[in-house]
Amino acid sequence: MAGENGTGGTPLRGLLPLAALLVLWQLTGDPDSPYFPPPSEWFAAVRPLVEGNELLPAVAATSLTFLIGLGVATLIGAIVGTLVGSSRPADRALSPSLEFLRALPAASLVPVATLILGYTTQMKLVVVVLPATWPILLACRSARRSLSPVLLDVPRTLGLSRRHRATKILTPALLPAVLLGVRVAAPLALIITLLVEIVTRVDGLGSVLGAAQANFLSAQVYGLLTITGLLGYLVNWVVTRADNAVSRRMRGEP
Amino acid sequence: MTRSSEPTGHGTGSAAGTDSPGATNGTDGTDSISCEGVGVTLSGSSGALDVLGGVDISVARGEFVSILGTSGSGKTTLLRVLGGLLPATTGTVRCHGSVVTGPADGVVTVFQDYVHSLLPWRTVRRNVGLGIEAGCDRAERDERVDEALIMVGLRQRADEYPWRLSGGMQQRVQIARALATRPRVLLMDEPFGALDAMTKASLQDQLQQVQELTATTVVFVTHDVEEAVYLSDRVLVLDGSPAAIGLALDIPLERPRHQVTTKESADYLRLRHRVYEALGHDIGERARLGEHDHA
Repeated sequence: MAGENGTGGTPLRGLLPLAALLVLWQLTGDPDSPYFPPPSEWFAAVRPLVEGNELLPAVAATSLTFLIGLGVATLIGAIVGTLVGSSRPADRALSPSLEFLRALPAASLVPVATLILGYTTQMKLVVVVLPATWPILLACRSARRSLSPVLLDVPRTLGLSRRHRATKILTPALLPAVLLGVRVAAPLALIITLLVEIVTRVDGLGSVLGAAQANFLSAQVYGLLTITGLLGYLVNWVVTRADNAVSRRMRGEP
Repeated sequence: MTRSSEPTGHGTGSAAGTDSPGATNGTDGTDSISCEGVGVTLSGSSGALDVLGGVDISVARGEFVSILGTSGSGKTTLLRVLGGLLPATTGTVRCHGSVVTGPADGVVTVFQDYVHSLLPWRTVRRNVGLGIEAGCDRAERDERVDEALIMVGLRQRADEYPWRLSGGMQQRVQIARALATRPRVLLMDEPFGALDAMTKASLQDQLQQVQELTATTVVFVTHDVEEAVYLSDRVLVLDGSPAAIGLALDIPLERPRHQVTTKESADYLRLRHRVYEALGHDIGERARLGEHDHA
């Protein structure tokens, strides 16, 4: 990583201030503080969760919800965005509704979703998918709208079938926009996954975090927070990398 | 190279200023592509607009026909109708005898906007193969792509991406892509309009060679009078609003033509004069400005 120019993720060197802060905290912190226990305490507090085989399933559950949620959101966003962007009447008819739904805060969906689906994984997914769809849908809509009409005439005049027009022209042409949307949606989806878990305590890292907070295990809260942060960093790194790679590929650059 | 198409069987539309000796409206089976009574009404934000009205054209096999007109005269619209990319509001288009309802087999359009008509994520080779990769096996595809690239002189650049090529080369890639499908009719929409004069001249000559080699029928839309007269067997001028064929002029200049000698010949100059007149330029006075710009 250090040898690359850091075009994708942030170079590790940029994390130095954070590391320095943690070291300072460790050196000056009071191990018995109820609010600011030093980092060594965090690890000690998280250890029982690892030994009790609670942490890994929680991370897995959160990751699964996040990945499926983001995947479904990408699929819906790309398809609906393309359709809305390709038709002026559809755009005009649906845009106000879409704008309204987009402005709806994700957290406010939780009560409705729990009412309908109960405290289940499906409920978690619904709450994650809805807000994560918008960035992808909107990016895809505007990309489809600004697609050159010539690019759509080319496969017609060359006699490409409808399916090939979609797979060989439309999909690659819109892929960078979809990934741009995913880049915005991914952190959002993770935040909402954790939020729903904290609020509803339906399995996952969020529910463990919420439980730790409720039991005043402050060191454990910090420890879980660190794991959550690492997860978020990883997600962001992967998505940014993928986005950059695909954008370059679609521009025909090496 | 002789052409099968000399004056017989040239159809011309609304009669004003017809110079073709054999200007009968021929749908006699030797036509490559033709249209009858084509009218196009486009609906825009400012209401319906009659772009074309009663356009009759018939192009013989192997013939090179240019469609000229001032900007906004409906040239591109007409070409889109011929290419099956835009349905005509009235009238019919025929290609090799059958009525055209969508993009017909063997009819390929080359667009002016080469930047957006090439796929930036594909190499030159894969761009050229786009039209044939579904129907051909690998060996045949490679062979046809190579053949098309050699015709436009880009064999060496086959594995590069389009953005690495100059504008003229990119347009040649687009032409190669059309040629790889072995079209019977090539429709070209101001293909050299965005290129500089030197590149334009060399591409014109390349196009002449390719057409001699393949005997493809070409319908060529341009607003460049010199280009139209230089390349064509026949020049059609779109005129009026809604536009129809105002002038149909045979160009019996000898082939192969040369940028310098052909353009110096008295015949060339006389024909060019006729076309400029038809486009509404008062010879010897200042050209009228912008009259057709809203048409």
